Amino acid sequence: MNFLNKIIFFYYREYKLNMSGAQDILTNIIFFFVSIFIFIFSIGPDKQTISIIGVGILWTLLLLSSTLSLRKFYQDDFENGNLIIMHLNGLSFGFIAILKTFSHFIFVQIPFLLSIPIACILLNIANDKLFYLFASFGIGSLILSCLGSISSSMNLMNQRNFLLGSVIIMIFSVPIIIFSVGIINMEESFNSLINILFGILLIVFAINPWASGLCLKLSLENN
Amino acid sequence: MKFLVNPSKFNEMADYIFKPVLILSIILFAIGLLFSFYLSPDDYQQGSSVRIMYVHVPSAWLALLTYAIMTLYSIMALAFRIPFGFIFNTAVAPIGAVFTLICIISGSLWGKPMWGTWWVWDARLTSVAILFIIYLIIIFMNLSFENRIVREKVVAIFVLVGSVNLPIVKFSVDWWNTLHQPATISKLSKPSIDPSMMTPLIIMTFAFIMIGIAIAILRIKTEIISRKSYLS
Amino acid sequence: MLIVKDLSVERINKKIFENINLSLTPGNITILKGKNGSGKTTLLKTMLNIIEPSAGSIFWKGKLLKRNFYDFYNHTTYIADTTSSLKKLTVKDNVNIWRKFFISNINDAQIEMALKTLKLDNYLNKKVATLSFGETKKLEFLRLIIENKKVWILDEPLSNLDEDSIELMKQTFEDHSSKEGSIIFSSHQNPGIYVTEEIEL
Repeated sequence: MNFLNKIIFFYYREYKLNMSGAQDILTNIIFFFVSIFIFIFSIGPDKQTISIIGVGILWTLLLLSSTLSLRKFYQDDFENGNLIIMHLNGLSFGFIAILKTFSHFIFVQIPFLLSIPIACILLNIANDKLFYLFASFGIGSLILSCLGSISSSMNLMNQRNFLLGSVIIMIFSVPIIIFSVGIINMEESFNSLINILFGILLIVFAINPWASGLCLKLSLENN
Repeated sequence: MKFLVNPSKFNEMADYIFKPVLILSIILFAIGLLFSFYLSPDDYQQGSSVRIMYVHVPSAWLALLTYAIMTLYSIMALAFRIPFGFIFNTAVAPIGAVFTLICIISGSLWGKPMWGTWWVWDARLTSVAILFIIYLIIIFMNLSFENRIVREKVVAIFVLVGSVNLPIVKFSVDWWNTLHQPATISKLSKPSIDPSMMTPLIIMTFAFIMIGIAIAILRIKTEIISRKSYLS
Repeated sequence: MLIVKDLSVERINKKIFENINLSLTPGNITILKGKNGSGKTTLLKTMLNIIEPSAGSIFWKGKLLKRNFYDFYNHTTYIADTTSSLKKLTVKDNVNIWRKFFISNINDAQIEMALKTLKLDNYLNKKVATLSFGETKKLEFLRLIIENKKVWILDEPLSNLDEDSIELMKQTFEDHSSKEGSIIFSSHQNPGIYVTEEIEL
């Protein structure tokens, strides 16, 4: 029971923290919409072209804007010592990584998920594709959160070149992009592709606590 | 086999074999280039440009092989706490990157006359490009961490995570229907390549391996010296 | 309780400290003295099983700390030299988060008392970022009361405090040690706090 309480109040804390900095999340979403505008200005407002490449643009921008907030993933808690305090409160580093991953998913990715319908209107994507977009982004964003946890915990001690963290995520998100965009463009093979995506999610989810926990421990040890 | 995991044993062995390896690689390169330019036939379809294969294929193999060995050493270093694995990773990553770069450049030189473009977005090419970027990330990681202990472990973890790309590179031609031709040489079946082309290919592969080993020896020795006080 | 035996810690090329022996028994107060960079924080973090020692061992209740560290954590409050309070939130929010997160059995009246003695009761609805450095430090000590645990591990608790607060800390320490608690804290000088053991690094 104690353990469950700890988890609940971990999320209470994350909620308070994220609500006090809600403008950060909103800035991410504004970045997302502004980049859609930029894209449309740069390729011209031709409806036909936009509806063909719309899904690709949407996914690319979702990926780019969710990597923007990566720096905050562990950095704040690492610098003010809260990671140690959470660990002293009985949560192992791997478990902290899992909790943080879900927190990132809830507070950063879900707002994107909610803003997808508006983006679909802007990009002329047909309504019947909305379900496929939601399904693929729901799974894909959780994969992105896991990858984000791994790469930002790797780069905790990297003061010089933090952009490397974003590059790592973008490299590993190539298969996710391939399969997610595939889901939307080839609706007849929806089941098989979503299963592949789900498989990737399970693999990444299994690696995440191990790799992030190790990196967190390492960074705290050598800080 | 202790010299593969022990820095001081490696140093002894390296002094012993460095010159032979270097001379062997020069000889093999001379023979191999002679074979590939003058003593092997033109392809009936591809003409003389098939000779690019004798650089392209060995460098691609070695790019993969280097990464595979780095993965093995990362596992050893992380699981069995053998610091030589970290030394190996730091030293060898640029060599792998260069092999990958040679592979990509020679491949696109080969692609221009054959396919009509320098680059196509096909699974094999893309996955090799990703392999190259992974090598670059490893090199940059090695440069951008202040703390060495964190750096080498993080790099080893990254090598492990990045090794998922290896099977994708290897099997991309079988899994997806691509422009890149499937592997012509495999152990299990009779190779679908003519012996007259096989000979220079094998010689060139060994030449690449030897030059790779020679450079690796130099780089690993430098790395060992640079962290001498840590190991003694 | 906690016994540290022949502990040494090494970083990349240099030894930080060697052969430290100490023990935390109920009722004693240990001070850790040393210059800047002598490894006080490192020693405290090693005792918390965050940094691995290169030699020596730490025992908690007769077992190796490595095997038993969650039990040790259940009895320990650690206050680092950084401030762990969340800067974006108000003092009240911080206190509430800590109370819930540590599943504290302290009631509202006690918290109010503590806030009053720390002279923080006027700042309840202010953000932590607007407090002065000494005040955030005092807010940090509120965790000692909220967590209500036996072993206190404090890293530089007395720096940046005024004389009144140091006097307060003195009383708190004596109170805690009389209640069978044990304290270890690091400081580069001792401003007259009663200690039972002194370790020079």
